Amino acid sequence: MAFAPLDPILHNQLRLAIMSLLVAVEEGDFTFLLEKTGATRGNLSVQITKLKEAGYIHVQKTFKENYPNTVCRISPKGLKAFETYVKAIKDYLKN
Amino acid sequence: MFIFASFNTIATMETNLTPEQSLKVIDDMIRQAKRSFHRISFYFLLWGVLLIAAMLAEYIMTRMGNPPHGASWGVAGIVGGVISSIHGAREGKREGASTAMDRVILWLWAAFVITMLITIVGYGVSGGGTPSGSIMVLTGLPTFVSGQLMRFKPLIVGGLLFWVLGAFSYFVDPGVITWLYIGAMLFGYVIPGYLLKRQEDGLRTA
Repeated sequence: MAFAPLDPILHNQLRLAIMSLLVAVEEGDFTFLLEKTGATRGNLSVQITKLKEAGYIHVQKTFKENYPNTVCRISPKGLKAFETYVKAIKDYLKN
Repeated sequence: MFIFASFNTIATMETNLTPEQSLKVIDDMIRQAKRSFHRISFYFLLWGVLLIAAMLAEYIMTRMGNPPHGASWGVAGIVGGVISSIHGAREGKREGASTAMDRVILWLWAAFVITMLITIVGYGVSGGGTPSGSIMVLTGLPTFVSGQLMRFKPLIVGGLLFWVLGAFSYFVDPGVITWLYIGAMLFGYVIPGYLLKRQEDGLRTA
């Protein structure tokens, strides 16, 4: 049986974790993602940029209590990619 | 199998994720996100205590021979509004994530406050007597819906209680309405609020 290819953007632990969090919440800021994923600031920043470049998330730079704050939100393209990825994983596990 | 090739290729490129690990990451993160809700127990406790105090103040003043003039409701409304705004602003700054449910609950209660204010003013203008019964019936709606959205039974029961006692209040003596109202606030707001606070504290530290 042929399986759907896995999306290389999502098949990375940290990027998958970011996307899973953003699927569950409407939007999350950098500190929230940092706290929940346990990643380093540098790595998280790099992976957020990759997801943004892929068009999977929208990133908005704002200010929170006079400090820069990055707010991330999943895009429709990202949501579709995530659903496809989960389906592919489930199909694999079923067979 | 193609998927094995995919996994192996990506594994060497970036990470060593198996399908089981992928699902575990997704599951863990969604569980983590579920703990990132806005705390609302504070508002049930605050408004429950304030509105019971206002009703008791009105009752005592009436018993002392003063006609009911609604001053205690006004004071409760202003105090509650100011404290709620300050608390909400602080919580909003602290929270790093916002869920669709947070937004639905926020607008549900905002719509309720507007409806309640119109009802209270309408009763006052038309001289329609005490609005307590209508307020109880109205309060049942956001309480019940919040309970259903959060799958929190004490709030669902609280909402039902508001409806039942509110409907009952149309058939009883005005003196009894005071106690129905206090009972509804105690069992519909204060007790569910306390139980919700315990659950929120538990989830935050889990």
